[in-house]
Amino acid sequence: MRIAVCWKWVSLDRDHDVDERWAGVSAADEAALEIALLLRDAFDDCDVEVICLGPKDADDVLRSALAVGATSARRIDASAELDGHTVSAALADHLHGADLVVCGDYSIDRGTGSVPVFLAAELGAAQALGLIDVDLASAATMPLRVVRRLDGGRRELLDVSLPAVLSVEGSVARLRRAPLAASLASRSIAIAAVPGPHGRPAEAEVHPYRPRARTLPAPTGGPLTRVREILDIGGDDGHAETVTLDPPAAAGRILDQLREWGY
Amino acid sequence: MPEQTTVDAIVVGAGPAGSAAATVLARHGYSVILLERGSFPGSKNMYGGVVYPRILDQLHPEWWLEAPIQRWVTRRSTMVLTDTQAVTVDFRSTDWGAPPYNGATAYRPDWDHWLAGKAEADGALLVCSTTATGLLRDGSGRVVGVTTDRPDGDLHARVVIACDGVNSFLAKEAGLYGEVDAANYTLGVKETIALPKDVIDERFAVRGRDGVDIEILGGTSGVNGGGFIYTNLDTLSVGVVLKLPKLGAQKLRPEQIIANLKAHPAIAPLVEGGEIKEYSAHVIPEAGLSMMPTMTADGMLVAGDAAAMCLAAGIWLEGVNFAMASGMYAGEAAAEALEAGDTSAGGLAGYERRLNDTFVLRDHRKLHRAPALVLSDRVQHRYPAMIANTVERMFRVDNPSPKPGLRRILNEERKRAGVRIRDLAKDTLDGLRTFG
Repeated sequence: MRIAVCWKWVSLDRDHDVDERWAGVSAADEAALEIALLLRDAFDDCDVEVICLGPKDADDVLRSALAVGATSARRIDASAELDGHTVSAALADHLHGADLVVCGDYSIDRGTGSVPVFLAAELGAAQALGLIDVDLASAATMPLRVVRRLDGGRRELLDVSLPAVLSVEGSVARLRRAPLAASLASRSIAIAAVPGPHGRPAEAEVHPYRPRARTLPAPTGGPLTRVREILDIGGDDGHAETVTLDPPAAAGRILDQLREWGY
Repeated sequence: MPEQTTVDAIVVGAGPAGSAAATVLARHGYSVILLERGSFPGSKNMYGGVVYPRILDQLHPEWWLEAPIQRWVTRRSTMVLTDTQAVTVDFRSTDWGAPPYNGATAYRPDWDHWLAGKAEADGALLVCSTTATGLLRDGSGRVVGVTTDRPDGDLHARVVIACDGVNSFLAKEAGLYGEVDAANYTLGVKETIALPKDVIDERFAVRGRDGVDIEILGGTSGVNGGGFIYTNLDTLSVGVVLKLPKLGAQKLRPEQIIANLKAHPAIAPLVEGGEIKEYSAHVIPEAGLSMMPTMTADGMLVAGDAAAMCLAAGIWLEGVNFAMASGMYAGEAAAEALEAGDTSAGGLAGYERRLNDTFVLRDHRKLHRAPALVLSDRVQHRYPAMIANTVERMFRVDNPSPKPGLRRILNEERKRAGVRIRDLAKDTLDGLRTFG
């Protein structure tokens, strides 16, 4: 069994030499490693490898991964500013054969979160992204039960079969603390580095349409009225409509409505 | 069972004292672990904003070439405030804006990080995100290391230097402190306010890297203490230092007291339009010599704020320089003791000798009356009005009335402020004995 954890090392101060105070990996990336270490206990003969794209300055965070118990760590030598597709292609070259890949769902520079998506496509693996919980007990029986956050406070339960790519939020788990002796010993470990892509992402970027912000008048009326206004229910001119349909018909009804609204 | 980690020395706290101690020990060739609870040195630390690094001439010659300073203090003002008045004594010197400089404003996350980096470069092993949670002792009670909050986190050493700040749990655990009295402490609170550099230059009449240090008596909403404004490159540090028992009795929030200070007619034009980037607070060991702990125990030394080294003497408000010096002398004494093979309290006695022979304890001894005098009710609540009203009448033109004599004005304003002659005489004498 092989679990790989993919980290994105970022230096937030791009105008100066790397300053370790403003560089590193995100809480989500750390949570990904913790989940991998916890899952390792559920599988027999399981290795956890941490792979990070980045310059040599990223070696320190990989040493910290070894200090907390990762089996091995590898750095793909690459420049820091690469687009998600390039990153995932470089990672995939080293991840073929991995049973499970765990990533954080954001980096400290708040990237797009697209790497896990591309990675799953590159590997031909299942994907479950933006997870807020991983049921560790389900690892013993498989498939792996995970929980996704949906809009409106809703949750989606997914059963994931391997091979798979997961991305987790930072709140999923807090990375364990490295034993002091291991932390000290890891400082002298040489991190294996392999050549990777360099360069900058393409300049052309396409952003989704965002409506301009509008100034709205202060709300009037009591709390109940306000809730009704927000939910658009109970009024004579509201758009809300309750229908009971089977799933295919419901999907068709939603699409029709969206087309009517101009989407 | 994990292998025991043993080094020559453990320095707890990578602030100015700890980094100085670690630097000295590393330069003597001893293995040193510098423990820091924050994610990097300076990430947990807070002060008003001015450092006087002269002592670094001994540790890092020509430190000014690389130290991460914001501005060199070339203008120093002392301001006395009442609700509607301000009296300012203003001094500036171009000499302070050139090597070897005098004081500077600096951010602690930069300053402490830089100093700890120097210790690392000399060979100290910096371990961050690790809190020393207690002392390890041998059968005789001698300190032989520290416990930390990491798994298998015990560290053994021949000597431990506690630079763990104002609430030094290690010094207290070692029994080096007597009973803690809240009256010995003040609360320092500060807002860091962003303004464009050219606006700061204009408002404070400085250029380039020149900066201003304004110390304020009054303006603390009736709570005994003082205020300050320091210029950084593109921010201001605006804050107050408040005596804890008085703050508790007044039932005012410290942020409200800063807001009141910023609204004062003499301060508002300096800060208006600024954006608050940070609010921070920290306890300060204000009572000087009278609250200092025993400096050594078997296997252990205490330095910096952990040893109450802060000098709060009205016109002199210093802390980082005392921390760096005490750390440096602790490092020297520890190295001496390690070389002699005797790190008992007796073997570490060179530390206290160095403190006594240098400005560290000489200044504290000389100014030991200052904290009580400066924070006394008369100095805080009666003299500002007496001074400001006297100056106002001096400069007021009351034609056709003739100008009154200065002695008459002073006497009338003394009476109006409710200051008795014998109290004024006593305080004047105390002031002369303290600062003279």
